[in-house]
Order: sequence, then C-alpha cells, then structure tokens
Amino acid sequence: MKNLISLDSLTDIVSNSVGILIIFAVINLIHDNNKTYQLEIPIEHRTELSPAFFIIKNDSILAMDTDILFSNATLQATRGAATNERLFALDYFDILGKINEDKGVSFYARDTSKWPTFKELGKGNSKLTKTLNTLDAKTQFAFFFVYDSNDGDDQSTSASGFEAFREAREYLKTRRIKTGWRPVNDEAPANICKDHFGKRCDYLPSYLGDVR
Amino acid sequence: MAMSRATRYARYQQGEKLEISLFPFLSIFLCVMGVLSFINVLNSFSTPQKIELTAQLEQGYKVAYQIFSLPDGIISVPPTKHLLKLKAVVNNSDALVIEDILDRRSLSMQRLEKHQGSVMNLASEPDMDDILEAILDIRKLNQIALKANYLYEEFLLFGIYPNGGSAYQKIRDVMSFTRDAASISVGLEPLDSNWTLNLKPDLSSKKAFR
Repeated sequence: MKNLISLDSLTDIVSNSVGILIIFAVINLIHDNNKTYQLEIPIEHRTELSPAFFIIKNDSILAMDTDILFSNATLQATRGAATNERLFALDYFDILGKINEDKGVSFYARDTSKWPTFKELGKGNSKLTKTLNTLDAKTQFAFFFVYDSNDGDDQSTSASGFEAFREAREYLKTRRIKTGWRPVNDEAPANICKDHFGKRCDYLPSYLGDVR
Repeated sequence: MAMSRATRYARYQQGEKLEISLFPFLSIFLCVMGVLSFINVLNSFSTPQKIELTAQLEQGYKVAYQIFSLPDGIISVPPTKHLLKLKAVVNNSDALVIEDILDRRSLSMQRLEKHQGSVMNLASEPDMDDILEAILDIRKLNQIALKANYLYEEFLLFGIYPNGGSAYQKIRDVMSFTRDAASISVGLEPLDSNWTLNLKPDLSSKKAFR
C-alpha cells in the first residue's frame, strides 16, 4: 500500500485549473456579446471654415491639391478632352476626372498604391501626418470623400475606407480640427463644385458630441 | 474477469518501487489547457463587435431619426420616446398630428420588433414616398415643438455600412429637392459590416427592436 502515489492533489489542481479556464472562457463570451458601440452623433453644420479635401480608398488617404487638380482639369477642358462628360486623366496620383454640369468636377480614384495608408497616421516622418498637421483649426476643416467599398481582390463587405476615415477623424480630433465626410463610389463619385450648383456642393463639417 | 488486489500486488516483486507514469495524464492536461486558452484568445479576437443601439438616440434636446444604409437598402428607426410628452403640451390640432405620426411610427417599430432573426435582413430599397413622409413628419414635429416652446428637435442620423453609400445617396438626392428637408439637421456615421445591429428594447415606451 505504501508504494501507491496519491493523485488526489494533482487531480484537484487540474480540475481547478480547467474549471477556472472554462469560467474565463464563459465570462469572455458574455462580455464580448454585450460589447456596445456608442454611435457618435456628428451633425453637419454651416461654418466659415474652408474645406481641405481628401479621398480615402483601400485604406489609403490622399490629400487633394485642388490647385493642381483644377488647373489640370481646366487644361484638359481647353484641349477638348473633357467634352461630353468623358473621363480624362488629371495627372495626379492616377485620379481621373469628369466635368458635369450638375456636379462640377468629379474625381474617380483608381490605383491607390502610391497613396499613403492610414497606418502612417501619427508617425512624425510620414507625409500624411505632415499634411494633416498643416491644417489650421481656425481657418480649415478636413472633408473626406470615403469609398464605401474596396476594389481589387478584396471584395468582402467589410472592406471600405471607413476604418481609415475613423482613424483620420480621431487623429484630427486630437488636433481640434473638424471633419466632414461623404461616402462615395463610382456611381456617386467625389465631386468638388461651387455651392451655386446646389446642395450636392455642400461640404459641411460635423462636430462630435456626447451621447446622453 | 476482474483482477483481485492481491493478484495485482503479487505482480510486483518485493523491494521494487511502484512507478506511475504521469506522462499521459500531463499530456491530456496540457492539451485541454492549450485548447481552452486557444479558444479563449481566438474568441476575444474573432467575435464580431455588436452594436447595441437604443431606438431613442439623443443629444440634449436633439433626437435622432436613425436610418441605417446597407447594401440591400435601408432600415428606418423613428424615435417615439418624447412624443407623448410633446403631445401633452400642445393644442388639440397639433396633438392630433402628433398622434397620427406616433401611430405610424409605432406600427413601423412593431414590424421591426416582430421580425424573427437578424434585423439586418429587414433592409429594403428606399421608398421615396416613405422618405418624403418621414421628412415631412420630422419637419412638422420640429415646428410644433418650436411653436409650443418645447425643447425638442428631431434630426436625421445616417449609419452607413460598407457598400451602403448608394441608398444614402438616393435619400440625399431626394432631400436636396424637397424644401421640407431644408431645416432638418443631418448627421452621418460610418459603420463596419461586422457590427451587427441589435437595438435594445426601450423600456419606457416598449417600442424597440432586436
């Protein structure tokens, strides 16, 4: 009898450990199921601030240099390339343009491989961070045209520029810069026009208030 | 036939130590621990984040009329919570208007409540007449509240899911052509497709959906 080794204590430890792990798993499951996301309440409002435009597609963010874009669009229009609502190259990060009476100049983003990604946000040496840091909260707000789906191989419904926009918005929020946005796609592309074209040319910032 | 205890002991020679191998036991033990830990870690990463929104989302006196824009269409979640209070402070003709709006909104919410399964499946193509009616209702309610000097203002809050931009654009196009929408504030928020819509029941008015 004295040669027998008692497994009682070991069994006790094992059952306790496994039990605790099961409890952890159940708690984790319950906790995750109850995870809530409070919807922000941004409300568009009129402002004296002027918009700085950005396009977001495939997790990449491009600052739109409107001076270059509009001078190139004007050049193409004078050459006749922009007649009959044809698409024309704007020689700016593979963006195509189209001139439309209702929408002004529309922009179609194609290849985004040369655009900075939102993962560069906050990194001191990144071009994107430097561009966003040049915005002046007293005179400007950032307006984003956000593609509501990605192209290429990534056709999952979760794929869109929304996450990149949320990150950019959070970054700008820390710098007290207002943001506005609009979902875009090839059917309803990004467009810039003067406000006499109508409400489609309204570019308004939103403030992010607290949910009561 | 079961081996007796005496027979089992007889197999060991005297002076020989009894050795029990713990390897199979420890192997199973570590496997179970490992699998459970793996499930735990996996679960914490992969469980989709669930949005739980109350049907009555408000900011101060501003109350949201929520429209969720999905690839298959839209889901409208009209607010009902404060309408009875508003009705109590207005004149009879305005009270009738509020009652009519409240009835229609309650019916709409009941339809959402009664739906079995994911509420996301209820998305339907935006009906322009319904949108115009909703916009008109919001304008009427805001005007009535203003006239009664009651702090209440409804605004349109769009929750846009990936690939849900088209439905949103259609509504904004309609809004740009109707004067009723001119005075209505608008907000829009990007949502992720793995955020499932799950509205908490509103205990005060019992008008909510899951």
